[in-house]
Formats: sequence, C-alpha cells, structure tokens
Amino acid sequence: MRSRFLIVLAAIVALVLVPSFVFASGQQQGGGGEIVINWPSIWVGQDAKAPAIDALVEEFNQANEGKIKVVVEPNPDYDGYRDKINAAIAAGQVPDIFIFNPDPTTFQYYEGDLLMDFTKDLNGAWGKQFVPGTIKGATKNGVTKSIPFEVGVTPIWYNQDLFDKAGIKEFPKTFDQFWKDADRLKAAGIVPASQMTGGSNAWTSMLWYSHILASIGGQDVWDKPLTDPQYVEAARIMQRMFQEYTTKDAVGADAGVSGGHYLAGRTAMFINGPWYIGRIRDEAPEVYKATKLTPAPQVKGGKYGAQIAFPLSNLAAASTDDPARRAAVVKFLKWLTKPENVAKISESAGSLFAIKYEVDRTNIDPLQLQFIDALNNASFAVSHFQANFPVDVTAELGQGFGAMALGRMTPEEFVKQLQAVANN
Amino acid sequence: MAGRKLNKHWKGILLFLLPVIVLYGLFFVYPLGFVFTVSLTKWNGVSAMKFIGFKNFIDNFGNQNFQLAVRNNFLWAFALGVVQITLAATVAMILARRPKGWRVLRTVYFLPNVISKVAIAMLWLAIYNAEFGALNAFLDMIGLSGWTHNWLGEIETALPAVMFQEVVYIGYFMIIILAGTMSVPESYYEAAQIDGANVWQQERYITIPMIRSILVTAMTLAVAFGLRHFEATFLMTNGGPANSTTVMGLILYKALAALDYGHANATGATLIIVGAIIIAAIRRFLSSRDAVAESKQ
Repeated sequence: MRSRFLIVLAAIVALVLVPSFVFASGQQQGGGGEIVINWPSIWVGQDAKAPAIDALVEEFNQANEGKIKVVVEPNPDYDGYRDKINAAIAAGQVPDIFIFNPDPTTFQYYEGDLLMDFTKDLNGAWGKQFVPGTIKGATKNGVTKSIPFEVGVTPIWYNQDLFDKAGIKEFPKTFDQFWKDADRLKAAGIVPASQMTGGSNAWTSMLWYSHILASIGGQDVWDKPLTDPQYVEAARIMQRMFQEYTTKDAVGADAGVSGGHYLAGRTAMFINGPWYIGRIRDEAPEVYKATKLTPAPQVKGGKYGAQIAFPLSNLAAASTDDPARRAAVVKFLKWLTKPENVAKISESAGSLFAIKYEVDRTNIDPLQLQFIDALNNASFAVSHFQANFPVDVTAELGQGFGAMALGRMTPEEFVKQLQAVANN
Repeated sequence: MAGRKLNKHWKGILLFLLPVIVLYGLFFVYPLGFVFTVSLTKWNGVSAMKFIGFKNFIDNFGNQNFQLAVRNNFLWAFALGVVQITLAATVAMILARRPKGWRVLRTVYFLPNVISKVAIAMLWLAIYNAEFGALNAFLDMIGLSGWTHNWLGEIETALPAVMFQEVVYIGYFMIIILAGTMSVPESYYEAAQIDGANVWQQERYITIPMIRSILVTAMTLAVAFGLRHFEATFLMTNGGPANSTTVMGLILYKALAALDYGHANATGATLIIVGAIIIAAIRRFLSSRDAVAESKQ
C-alpha cells in the first residue's frame, strides 16, 4: 500500500515537472544525426529582407540535407523580440542563432560564456569579407562574439515636390537657412518635418538629434561625455523644431505616425534608413519619386556633410561544447554573409550591409543608390545616439523631447535628465 | 485532541492537492522569492549577481520618475477602484430592474471585454490623434475648436485620456455586480415598496448592503488592476509626455529592457508589497459578512 502511494506520488510529480524540463531544453538534434539550428528571427513577415533570407535559408537547407537544418522561428515584433532575447539570455537559454541591435546595453551579452566566440574564425578569409572597422566595432575586450551584418545609413529625406511648392530650390546647407526655408514651407501650408517622442527610442527625432550633434561635435562626437555643451546646443535646435516646425501630434507620436505624415505628403522632411524604401515605394509612389537624400544642415561653427551610419543588426550564436554543432553554426553564418548572398538581400530589400559586396547599379532601386552615394559622399560618418548610450538613456530622449516641446524643460534640464539616467 | 486526529484519507487528500501545491510552489512561490532575492542585487542577466542590499529600493524611491509612477498607480487604483466600480454598480442596479432591452444592453456593455486591450488601445490612439483623430474632428464640427488638444501629447490631458478609455469599459465589473444584485430576494423590494420606499431608498438600504461583499470583491480586483496597470499606457503614451503618465509596470519594463534586473525586481517587489497592503486594507475596512448569504440561511 505504502509503495503504491509513493509510486502514485512520484508519477504526479513527474507529470507536473517533466513537461517543463522537456520544453525548456534548448538545442535539438534532428533525426539521423541532423543538426537542427533554431533561429528566432525578426526578418520575417512584412520585413523587406524576409523573402531573400527565406530563400537563402531554403537553399542552405537543401545543400545540407540530412546534415544541417536551419529552422527560422518568426518573431515579427522588434521590441518583443528584444525582450525575448533578454529573457532567454537571463535564463541561460540562448537561442542557437539570434539577431541583436548593437549598443552598450546589448554588448553586455558578451559577459560570461553564453555566446559563441568568433574571434579566431574571423581572423582568416571570412573576416576579410567585412567592411574595415565593422569587426572592430563588434569586438569587445579583444573578443568578437557577434558577426556584424546589417548596417544603417540614415540621411535626411526630403520631398522635392513640396520644396518646389514652397519655392525652395535646394536643401539648406546651414541651420540659418534651414529656419528660413522651414518658414517658407509653413507659409505654403506644409509642415516642415516629421518628429516623434514615442516608441522605445523616439527614432526619427533621435536621428535628427544625432545629425545635429554630428555637425557640432564632428567625428569625435561620441567621445564626449553628456556634460559636454554640444548636447545642450543640439537640444536647443531640437526644441525649436518641435515647438515650431513639426506636426501637432509629434509629442506622443510613434514611428508609424511620423513616417505616415511623410508618406502622406504632409511633412516635407523625415529621417529613416534604406529598409523603409520598400514601404514608401509601395504605399506612396509619388512621394517616393520626389524623395531626395541629404546630409543635415551645418550648425554654426560646426561641420557639414556628416552622415549617420551605424551597425544595425549583429548575428550571435549560443556557445556550445559540441564541435559539430559549432561548425554547423559557423557554416550557416558564413553562407549568410557570403558577398553574393548579401548582394541578393541588398538588391531585394534595399538594406545595406557590413560585408563588402557588389551591386548591379543598373538594376538597383534609385533611392537605394542615393543611400549608397550619401554614405560614399559623406565628409565623415558617425553612429547615432542610441548606439552610444545605454537603452535607458535613449528611452529618456523621447520623454525629454516631449518636455522641451511643451516648454516644461529647458535644453539644459533635458541634458541633466539624461545625465541623471546615465548615472543611475 | 480528537480534532487534531489525522484524517484517515490524508494520503488521498495529499495526492489530489499535490499537483496544485507543486505548481503553486514552482510558478508562484519560487518566482516570488526570486523577485525579492534579485531586488537586493545588481544583475544584468549575464554576469554573476552581486548583493547590494536595499540600494535598488533607495535608488527607486529617490528617482523622480518612480515617485511619479507610484502617484499615477494610486490614481489608476482610484480611477478603477472607485470611479469604474461606481459606474459599473450604477449600471448594474439599473439593469437589475429589467428595463426594456436590458439583455441587449448587458451584452453591449460586456462586449469590449472580449476584445483585445491592444486593439482597444489602438482604436483610442486613432480617436485621440491631434491631426486626424475623431475626437478633435467632432469638436471642430460642433464649433468647439478651442477645446481640441493633442490629447496624448499634453501633460494635462494625457493621463486622464488614457484612464478614460479604460474606465469607460465597465462591462466586466458590471456583470459581477449584476449577478449579485439579481440574487437579492424580490420580496425585500416588495416590502420596501409597501413601506413607501422610493427607488433610491431601495437601492441605498437594500441592494448596496446586500451586495456589499460583492462590491468589495469587485473593488479589490479593480484596485489590483489599477496598481499593476501597464498595457494601455505602454501602447498609447509609453509613459510620456515627459513621463507624466508613467506607471510602475512601465518602469519595471524599461529596467528589464536595459538589462537592469536589480531595479526591475525592486520595482516588482514594491508593486507586490504596496498591492498586498492596499488590498489587505480594503478587505479589512470594507468587508463585512455576506448579507445575501445570511439572508438565505
């Protein structure tokens, strides 16, 4: 009787616990020794890169049938994806392969031994495929635990048709001229620029702020701490933009609203990266045709011609003691970063990459060409604010822009608020 | 001593209880302990935890945004626990009198509760939009252009705007209160009518005392929802403008995104402690014996 009771007791406990352990287990081995690599990915669904990436994964799986199989797990929500990766890493359950936006917060993933170390792999021929400096950017304390992949370039977009309507012949080269032209746009019934304070990083406005800072601070802009006067000077310009030259809903607006105004032809200026080409081409063909790209105007005493270019997505993998699994992961990453494969993604999606590749200039989207030329013609390129400050400091930008726009905060107080978050 | 005698079926009872005990321990007690443990550490989820005592709590309470979040959570608890429950109780009492079409109205009031909160928040985002939102368009149309606002982008209007779109959906609590109200014996009202009591007096002296325990339960739930409020604020304002709508749940979320698990869990622990105190206080001061149950004895 007693032993039967214990057996039933054990069975119940097992019934409750076993599923947890089964579902919590990470790495999978397919049938017949096939290595299954799970890749939770944001490049799915409506993402412009999805079709090309899908095709490449399919091609890889066919070429390695019975040996390696890459399984893409769709995660189309960017913030949700980041949260999922954070939770997985904290739980020690690192996905086989994953994507992350490199910044001081996410580079904390490098601590400990959870990620695969690619330092030696990249020392050889593979590393030579990358744009100089990009691997260095993914290297911390001499160790490279992620592969630089997509890069972003975010020039200022402007609608030439709306500029023509306001009688403006060319994009202003200085901020003195910018204010005059913005007034002319307003007089013509056009809102000068899209701005936003919403989302996790106030994206469009964070990029405006980064452009202005680049003009003031030059190439070393991000070497300067938040106590440097450049941050206040740039904030003053942002405050004026928010108070006089943007839409009524800018405070509280998210990326959908700020982009929507530009697509609808309500605003004359906007900032985003090449991944937005597909959307503007499909949803607003007239605006697409009228769109030109340019560097930001020069702040008095500052530099002209800078572009904001930054590592957008790095690829990382879970560390493993299994040499076969490690080799499989590296093989797939090498496949994905092969110049001809990267060119395929670039041509289909409009994105730019940290890998050296050739594109057929006759067969490429004209707006994408403008992006490539914008970067090539830049007097210098620096990354954006977000890439240089922890996530919580960037998150405070939107709140601060809103407070300045509403006159609740001076530019000095705005920067002090950023400092307070950074020091917390 | 007879009362202390072990039930002869104790093994069976234990077997039936065991799955729940194991699940409760695994998915509630253990995580709760983990929250309190991590709240006393500095931890980014990757490196080893470092014990730092109550520093995270001290940091939080010294942080202006956190203070604002605590204030807003209390406002949310008030808005849901008092305003929403009052509205829900009023509508429930009206419907309990079975006016014409009361069944349809009951369904109409409850319907928003089966729609995702995300969808509802998106709907209200569109309604409140300053440029092309329905609310401003309506105000313009009726000649009240001076009343138009960037509802979610102005400090004075953002918090009330987010609260309004949540408080107005009274269906969930209305159904709970309605069920209680309809269980009050009809004979009480008939007797009151014979004694000359008007409708207000009937509700005041019969319905409310009879459903007191249901009201307290509904209020407890509503206050708990207010204290842990997150979704609508996250989706509609992300705590802005200028952190004026921030809540503790959002501060916790942002700390998690920043891999600052120490502060995130300290915020979570504070939420748990504050919530437990407030709910215990509500139960202590507002609860009474169930009049409906008593009446049936």
